[in-house]
Amino acid sequence: MDTISLAFYALAFLIIAAAIFVVTSKNIFHSAIYLILALFGVAGIYVLLQAPFLAAAQVLIYVGAVSMLMIFAIMLTARIADQTIRHTNEQVPTGLLVSLGLLAVIVYSLWQTPFAISSDPMPEGAGGTLGKLLLTQFALPFEIVSVLLLGALIGAVVIAKKDSVRREPEAPMTPLPKSAEKVAG
Amino acid sequence: MLELDKLVKLVGDGIEAVVTALGLGPTWVTLVQLIVAALVVVVFAALVVLFLVWWERKVSARFQMRLGPMRVGWHGTIQTIADALKLLQKELITPANVDRGIYFWAPVVTFVAAMAVYVTVPFGKGLIVRDLNIGILYILSITTFTVIGLLMAGWSSNNKYALLGGFRSAAQVVSYEVPMALAIVAVVMLTQTLSMGEIVSQQAKFYQWYIWRQPLGFLIYLVAATAECNRTPFDLPEADSELVAGFVTEYSGMKFAMFFLAEFLNMFTVAAIATTLFFGGWNGPFLPSWMWFLIKTLAGVFVLMWFRWTYPRLRVDQLMSFAWKFLLPLAFINIVLTGLGIYIFRP
Amino acid sequence: MPDVFALQAPPRYEIEDDDLLINIPAPPEKYSGAYLTETYKVNMGPQHPSTHGVLRLELTMDGEVVLSIRPHIGYLHRCFEKHAENLPYAGIVPYTDRMDYLAGLSQNMSFAVAVERLMGIKVPERVEYIRVIICELQRIASHLVAFGTYGLDMGAFTPFLWAFRDREMILDLFEWLTGARLLYNYIWVGGLARDLPEGWVAKTREFLDYFEPKINDFNDLLSYNHIFITRTANVGILPPEVAISYGVTGPNLRGSGVDWDLRRDDPYSIYDRFKWNVALGKGRFGPIGSCWDRYWVRIEEMAESVKICRQALEGLPEGDVHETIPRKARPPKGDVYARTESPRGELGYYVISDGSDVPLRCKARSPCFTAISSLNAVVQHAKKPMLIADVVATVASYDIVLGEVDR
Repeated sequence: MDTISLAFYALAFLIIAAAIFVVTSKNIFHSAIYLILALFGVAGIYVLLQAPFLAAAQVLIYVGAVSMLMIFAIMLTARIADQTIRHTNEQVPTGLLVSLGLLAVIVYSLWQTPFAISSDPMPEGAGGTLGKLLLTQFALPFEIVSVLLLGALIGAVVIAKKDSVRREPEAPMTPLPKSAEKVAG
Repeated sequence: MLELDKLVKLVGDGIEAVVTALGLGPTWVTLVQLIVAALVVVVFAALVVLFLVWWERKVSARFQMRLGPMRVGWHGTIQTIADALKLLQKELITPANVDRGIYFWAPVVTFVAAMAVYVTVPFGKGLIVRDLNIGILYILSITTFTVIGLLMAGWSSNNKYALLGGFRSAAQVVSYEVPMALAIVAVVMLTQTLSMGEIVSQQAKFYQWYIWRQPLGFLIYLVAATAECNRTPFDLPEADSELVAGFVTEYSGMKFAMFFLAEFLNMFTVAAIATTLFFGGWNGPFLPSWMWFLIKTLAGVFVLMWFRWTYPRLRVDQLMSFAWKFLLPLAFINIVLTGLGIYIFRP
Repeated sequence: MPDVFALQAPPRYEIEDDDLLINIPAPPEKYSGAYLTETYKVNMGPQHPSTHGVLRLELTMDGEVVLSIRPHIGYLHRCFEKHAENLPYAGIVPYTDRMDYLAGLSQNMSFAVAVERLMGIKVPERVEYIRVIICELQRIASHLVAFGTYGLDMGAFTPFLWAFRDREMILDLFEWLTGARLLYNYIWVGGLARDLPEGWVAKTREFLDYFEPKINDFNDLLSYNHIFITRTANVGILPPEVAISYGVTGPNLRGSGVDWDLRRDDPYSIYDRFKWNVALGKGRFGPIGSCWDRYWVRIEEMAESVKICRQALEGLPEGDVHETIPRKARPPKGDVYARTESPRGELGYYVISDGSDVPLRCKARSPCFTAISSLNAVVQHAKKPMLIADVVATVASYDIVLGEVDR
């Protein structure tokens, strides 16, 4: 086995193990950290595929922005980080069925796809080519995706903002000191 | 002259000869070469930090009309080594109810992220571990791990001050990364490449430095980068008068030292990137290239220290509105201006 | 042997909730009610770098927004008032030093004035002049600490060391004069511990000449710094009427624009002989009564104190400083309340004498105590959400000394 394959299998093992921990970990913050590990492993795969630009973008966007926002959301959400959560619910058989179906579809499509192997040399500096393509040939999809993300952003703000709900303090803010209660009889 | 590229080549060839003589393939040659280079960089980074800590203490002392460390060595030069030895001996305290795994890994992640940047920093002519063709993008992406480390530290410490420090650092770095990246994008539009070595070689002459064509971009970068490495006036994650010590509140001994090292390494990185992107990197007359790089970078570090010992600290909301309402529009304006400039002046 | 069981039980107080709680919680919908969030509590102190001693602030927080502050004091309580009931008058003076350890001489002064009024002593001119000089020097020293630590709390380290460099010179002068650097026991009932040493006046003049231009340096470094102004000018606003209703005094009251200085409005000693201006907060960079205004009052007061010192040094007469010190202070039956303008505000001593050589009761009115009481009012009157950083800015701008609060 050559070194590239070795590295690939190591990375694949890392990704799969991390992904399993993401799903099974009881603490949601741990899940997020494992997710970062998995995403980082994917970046490693990109490096092996000689797509360093994609790898850097993967780290910058998924690890740097998406995961960080997730961690931020977890930390800001009330009490979610303190608790251990069950990741499974009552519908295990249905879930199993759906995921097995999905697995079958993926395996089938992988099997059917003829992966063309290009013999061209790797383009140097893929960044420039990608940038040109994004702003010329794929300008419309690029814009659509941007608008979609913007919509999601505004939607999140709208959902988070509940004007009509007034916060009631659950308990008296400062309970009477024990000594004072005694004196008061 | 005292150029080091010959030496580097010599060592590289020597390793190749030895490894090949052992009957191993070219992959192993590269691997051993990279490991040696990594070790050299790690040692260099450690030396840099030792120097920077001493220098910061001396600079702050001069700003405040005192002497600073004077007892250990000539003008306190080996004070930092004494401090490091002290930190090594200290107990690593793990408070009750911390999230042990994450608490342990947080300083490691922060430190490794700060260290990994040096892979693609051009220290001098021929002195670059790997001139990646995505160089600057690599630096931008790997520095995000620093924040993950800070967040992990803040969250796992089971301490409200640490948690608030973690919140702040995350919010701050996410906010300031955007104008910083945009300022760098403006430079990249001019260079047409992401490779650090290439960018340096484009600025061979004094008048070719990108600072002359990107003054606004440099200012944006300077401000955002100061915020990125949590220095005053943006040192909110560890604002000692509000949050005790922020995310490092519960850390002690060498774990604390790793955060500390990472902070100083980040400071050096920021100055090194500024040198590479805006001030011609290691280019300069008379002196060896690595010396020019060090002079320019340390000058940048001095500016950061100057900020720290002169300015008060911003408040959280002021920090945020400054990033989003002022710096970000400015960065966009800079990009539009750069684009117009390229369109007009280039065929 | 007295029958302990026959002693009357202490009176039972009916404590209502309102007596203990300071208007908690604040109306949250004012700024953050639109979002569904959870409040939590942060204990700031008693070991916290910016509570200026062992003060504990119980903050009710919504994210980083402070909804209310509840100060807890008493960590530095040393029973000054009870001690005073068992000590001869001359023996109380060293205890007053320990109340406000940044302005010991002002405390000495206030207590001496109170007892002298009770006994009807008129002290010699020279004593009065020396008292004014050293009290004003003490004010400069105290305000320098306030300035320096304020910079520190705003994250600027350098002003702190600049301030301490100049304070050091004042302390050197005091050391030369009194033999001590912090706890002086210099102003005695009826006089002073010792006369000025030879050459002290010249050195003090030298210091004043050196110090006056330094104030401009401070302003260049901190006062007019843009970041500093944005941090303090719209923050911690104490409206004049609120300040008066809480009994806030001194630079904090003047920072709210209330023109009230005991040195001018209720002159004690010989303050009515000097020409100087009362520094006032004018709301230069924001609403009146902000942290910046309080800070600025202290900076201006340092310059005014230099003026007073200069005039007092001019008019310093010859004389004996021990002349009127009573051999044994036995004030006649009666009581007195004497108040002076300490660097922190109205410092008053209420002394009851039963004719013996120990006071029957000695109560100190602490300016910092009233200032701390108004902290929650500042939060409740804030127009904008107040953050932890603003609490730090506000507490620091009050320039409190916990030794005086707890006594």
